[in-house]
Amino acid sequence: MKENRYWAVVFMFVLTAILSTILIGLARFTEPQVRLNQQIAFETAAVRCIPSTEAKTPAEIHAIFERDFVKPESAAGAFVYQPSGKAAGYALPFSGQGFWSTIRGVIGIGIDRKTVLGIWFYEQAETPGLGARIVEPFFYGQFAGKTLSPGARPIPIRPVADATDKDIAAISGATQTCVRLEKLLNTAIEEWRNKMTQGGQGQ
Amino acid sequence: MILFPSGSISSEVWLAVVTCFAAVFTQNILLSYFLGMCSFVAVSKEIKTAVGLGAAVVLVMTCTTVLNWMAYWWVLVPLKLEFYQFILFIIIIAAFVQFLEMVLDRYSPSLYLALGIFLPLITVNCAILGAVLWMVIRGYSLIVSTGFGFGCGVGWMMAIVAMAGIRQRLDESKIPAGLRGPAITLIIAGIMALAFVGFTGVLQ
Amino acid sequence: MSNGTAVKSSKQIILDGLWFENPIFRQILGICSTLAVTNVVVNTLVMCVSLSLVTALSCATVSALRNQTPRSIRMMVQVLIIAFYVIIVDLLLKAYWPEMSRQLGPYVGLIITNCIVMGRCEAFAGSNKPWPSFIDGLFSGIGYSVVLLAIAAFRELLGMGTILGFAMPYFSTQWDKWIIMVMPPAGFFVLAMVLWICRSIDVKGQKK
Repeated sequence: MKENRYWAVVFMFVLTAILSTILIGLARFTEPQVRLNQQIAFETAAVRCIPSTEAKTPAEIHAIFERDFVKPESAAGAFVYQPSGKAAGYALPFSGQGFWSTIRGVIGIGIDRKTVLGIWFYEQAETPGLGARIVEPFFYGQFAGKTLSPGARPIPIRPVADATDKDIAAISGATQTCVRLEKLLNTAIEEWRNKMTQGGQGQ
Repeated sequence: MILFPSGSISSEVWLAVVTCFAAVFTQNILLSYFLGMCSFVAVSKEIKTAVGLGAAVVLVMTCTTVLNWMAYWWVLVPLKLEFYQFILFIIIIAAFVQFLEMVLDRYSPSLYLALGIFLPLITVNCAILGAVLWMVIRGYSLIVSTGFGFGCGVGWMMAIVAMAGIRQRLDESKIPAGLRGPAITLIIAGIMALAFVGFTGVLQ
Repeated sequence: MSNGTAVKSSKQIILDGLWFENPIFRQILGICSTLAVTNVVVNTLVMCVSLSLVTALSCATVSALRNQTPRSIRMMVQVLIIAFYVIIVDLLLKAYWPEMSRQLGPYVGLIITNCIVMGRCEAFAGSNKPWPSFIDGLFSGIGYSVVLLAIAAFRELLGMGTILGFAMPYFSTQWDKWIIMVMPPAGFFVLAMVLWICRSIDVKGQKK
């Protein structure tokens, strides 16, 4: 009987050791790819949210990102887009809880800190056919050219019936996603604007 | 992960309450995420057994969510072994259920007679592992995770007790032969899920 | 305590009746957790392929080790092996298809607790050779997949007008999309319909 008990423990131990080794090996092997995926996703968002940049392949996107985007302390967490050395806009990353999961993206803001250049979502897991349509051109295309209102709601996302030219029209049927998106986006923009103003006064 | 990412205990507790509420109503782990169906369909014939199983699930879910949070953030992440989470979580859940069974058997035989019978069913309950995995994916802090685990358990319990109540009444109705058994249970679950969808506007 | 032993054996009876000895019940319930991803066909396809492969490989491995595995830790070993294959699937998805990994969320990990996988390992692989166990596991997975893919095709077609992302002729243009199909309750309803159809066919066959 004693022998059986020891054998059980030894068996478990050996099996766990073998399986763990294989898993650790696979995890280490895929780690660089995972990091690369995240990096590409983020860089794509940063580059794409500024419509004047025309890039298609990950290689081109990476090249543009390396060359034209910097992250100085003075930008309060945003990236500054400066083609040929001249600052032309900001790329502000944002993230927050959507309806089902986290939504992450980057919003392009003009150098005047008032105009929206564009927006790109690089991570979302909302309802397919409803909330997930935020990544379709008919939705995100509305952001380009909008003006940020002063105050707590820089970019309102309103239901289609109520939306004026100054607002973003929500996706009908995706109320929850749009409500949460509006909240996390506006919070990020407000916080950034406040930090930028304080930074300016500090100078 | 630091214990209070949102800055203060009170804001953490508030976030925990909101998450708990969401887990019970707007994102019910059974009616929105389809987890824990196995024991749900099997045990929901009588209200008494449903309450017993539900209570056991609440207890196990809350405790294992906390334990697994600590195991993930304080052990796996520093060691960069995040992929191990599935194995470790299951081991912790099984061990906790075993431990609970022993404690109940020793200290409270009456409670053991009421709840203990369900504990082996709980170990294979997808809802418990599911709640833990959601907690990791969403990156909740410790206090919020406790609220989340408790909310998931309560939500599951609500669903199963409501289902038991409905099924007890159904025993007297005429149901077509093809629908008897799992099929009608699923339809009831679907209607309940529809009703819960109505809660989605409550939390902003 | 004689009272204790009496309770234990009726507990075993209840558990057996509800759970351990009820294969058809288990098959249906094994489907349930994957219902969450059946609103899009491609997600369902990935889940089904993952589950079939995990079942097949786990059964084969459990079978290969069946003579060495001590009785007392049989279940733990099964869970460990299933978890091993699930982690591999998860790692591969995270690295080479991160979009899909994010959409599937925790459901890949939940394959471990799936009744069907454990059921096959317990029922078949424990007492058969590796190759038959592999085939048995694979075809259990495929049987499961057929039902789920049917449900997913139905839901995606009526809810979004597409299948696998491709717009379908009538459904994506003139059909007034049933948004409910994309939301959780529809998973329950469509599965219930499928069960109803199957059962009715069964009942008719028995009547003849």
